[in-house]
Amino acid sequence: MTDDREIIKAMHGNPGQGVRLLMKSYKEPLYWHIRRLVVIHDDAQDATQEAFVRIFRNFSQYSREQSFRAWVFRIATNEALRLIERRHEDTMPIGGVFDIQADSYVNYGDLEARLQKAILHLPAKQQLAFNLRYYDELSYEEIAEVAGSSAASAKMNYHLAKEKIIKYMQKND
Amino acid sequence: MKQFDFEQVGKRMPYAVPDGFFDKLEADVMQKVNKTASPSNSREKTLRIALRTAMAFAASVVLFFSIKPVLPKNEAVDFESVELAFNNLSTEDQDYLLLVYEDEQDLLYNGLTEEE
Repeated sequence: MTDDREIIKAMHGNPGQGVRLLMKSYKEPLYWHIRRLVVIHDDAQDATQEAFVRIFRNFSQYSREQSFRAWVFRIATNEALRLIERRHEDTMPIGGVFDIQADSYVNYGDLEARLQKAILHLPAKQQLAFNLRYYDELSYEEIAEVAGSSAASAKMNYHLAKEKIIKYMQKND
Repeated sequence: MKQFDFEQVGKRMPYAVPDGFFDKLEADVMQKVNKTASPSNSREKTLRIALRTAMAFAASVVLFFSIKPVLPKNEAVDFESVELAFNNLSTEDQDYLLLVYEDEQDLLYNGLTEEE
């Protein structure tokens, strides 16, 4: 995986090369992060593309004091939330529950599907904190930057999410 | 009742993607990005235009003072008409004049003009 500093340097000096390095490191993490939020593959594909274009266009707004990883995840999260807002009457993974069986690119393995259902039942902030910590291994400080909260709040949301998931899994065993 | 163990699932997800999806995603993003002028590219372009305009203006001034002494005294030549004439030149001719002007500036800067 390319070091974030290398991506930042390339984005300044040679944006084309910078985007290539960015894609190499982040195309899969950002796609899966968005996919976990929006569930449907086609939507995740659109939102991921848009997120990368936004990262490229708004790169001048990135400050070196921020975590680059948190900054790109924040843009990706916002893109996913924008997409969810647009389709709010039909499906609502954040703050609502989406039927994961609505998408054709889903394997209905028992435990995996149940865990995703449990995550999709969580309130928005807990869902975000859990996904970013469990799947993407972001620090609580980075999660706070993505969610626009404090690190303490991110930690609390993660642990609350874990407890609720355990209860859901036992209830639906 | 046995408590759910996250390690049973790990990071596995029930989601899948079509074959070759990530390669296609990268190609699509690169295509979109190439169509988008980056802010730094836009700034460079604006600077280039501004520099070219300034140089064209300077070349017009040089041209104006160069041709004025050789014109008949009763023929009025104003700066606007020289500028207009410069603008009417082909791009190649404008580039040539700008090149001559740049060379002239270099010579002046280096203190190597013929007058010395």
